[in-house]
Amino acid sequence: MSRLAICIVAAGLAAPVSAAPESFTIDPYHTFPYFTVNHLGYTNFIGRFDKTTGKISLDAAAKSGTVELVVETASLTTGDNDRGTRPRTRDEHLRSPDFFNVAEFPRMTFKGKTARWTGEMPGAIEGEVTLLGVTKPLNLTVESFKCGPDPRTQGKRYMCGGNAAGTIKRSDFGMKFGVGPVSDEIKLYIAIEAFRD
Amino acid sequence: MEAFLSNPAVQGGIGPFVAGLVVAIVLGRFSLAGLAVAAGFGVCAYLLNGLAFAPLTATRKIILVTLAAAPIGVVVDGIARSSRTIGIALAVGFGVAAIWVFWSVLSQRPPQEAAAFGTVAAIAVGATVWLNHRLADAPVRAGAAAFALGVGGGIAAVLGASATYGLYAIAIGAGAGAFLLVQMLTNRRTAAGATLTLPAAVGGALFAAGAVLLAKLAWYALVPLVLVPLVARLPAPERAPVWLQAIVLSVYAFTAATASWILAWQLGLE
Repeated sequence: MSRLAICIVAAGLAAPVSAAPESFTIDPYHTFPYFTVNHLGYTNFIGRFDKTTGKISLDAAAKSGTVELVVETASLTTGDNDRGTRPRTRDEHLRSPDFFNVAEFPRMTFKGKTARWTGEMPGAIEGEVTLLGVTKPLNLTVESFKCGPDPRTQGKRYMCGGNAAGTIKRSDFGMKFGVGPVSDEIKLYIAIEAFRD
Repeated sequence: MEAFLSNPAVQGGIGPFVAGLVVAIVLGRFSLAGLAVAAGFGVCAYLLNGLAFAPLTATRKIILVTLAAAPIGVVVDGIARSSRTIGIALAVGFGVAAIWVFWSVLSQRPPQEAAAFGTVAAIAVGATVWLNHRLADAPVRAGAAAFALGVGGGIAAVLGASATYGLYAIAIGAGAGAFLLVQMLTNRRTAAGATLTLPAAVGGALFAAGAVLLAKLAWYALVPLVLVPLVARLPAPERAPVWLQAIVLSVYAFTAATASWILAWQLGLE
């Protein structure tokens, strides 16, 4: 075999094996973005969005992946949905133009790419979040991540899941009402589960 | 200072009132005291929204249309304030503007629902503009109507789950209140004109309609607000001092506005 041929074969053997990226669909029943916001300096208030859809693609061999999430802003809840003797609830207020303005902006989106892989786990998802029509960078730190067979299906279905966290300033998106008494900084947490297509 | 300017009482009340007072005093000699409403609203808009208008949300459109109404009012006063045709044209024009303002919300609803809500918003804004325009030559009545429309619409918006819309509308009322106060203290009527009635009517009606479309205010709570300028035409003691007329007419106007609050509260409890 000529030297050139040997070199070509050696180069081919040395190249990483790149499997095709695998596509996953978000499990809407086990995927929830949460947020905490400081209220009057006393408590860190917790809220959650109940409806999220999206797609994930992962290529563990190539250490790459993408995440796309679409959150229905009207699905927001902080547990206050009963008016009682009040003309409105806190959750209704949060859905109003003062905060999430859900009638005009019914969806919030996140698009990101995985980064800082350690073994088979990404350390971060670097991307952009679009809220109230404004797009800003948002980098999520991946706190846990695992892929494997879904035990509920005797391993027939393959799934991945994990938790990630990040921080935004709501005023960056034009959500300025009550900044001060209600903190500008919002901590985001997301629990994601997704099934391989 | 930042904490002071972030206080809602300053953003919707004190700041707009002081701005309106200064404008009413300084520009009164030029028959432009009616700009007190636009000045008060402008201060509130700056404190709440700043100078950013991108993305152009429904709220920002309301701000722009309300601020634009002031110079339009000045032009109308210079041309033919009492013209019935101009009054109708203003009503139709700003009724159509309401559709533009809320288009981003209407376009996301089913067509029939969008048509219904859009029609209600356009009619409410157009009717409010038309009825307020008829008060343009009666400065105390116009001021009382604008005062009640702003404060009344603002409180209705707060009850309808939007404190921000409430502040914007209350700021209109604060500017109108300043306009009234100058007349009460000097016992002299100051020209109101479309300079005052147009931004007051446009802003008050758009924020109230916005509270229906984007928050939780029931649409029937808008009806008493549209009637405020009608009620401001009720008989007043014409030979009484200006301050007494202002109080009597304001009581009339706020009675109509109170009906709006009651409806907003009651419907909110359902």
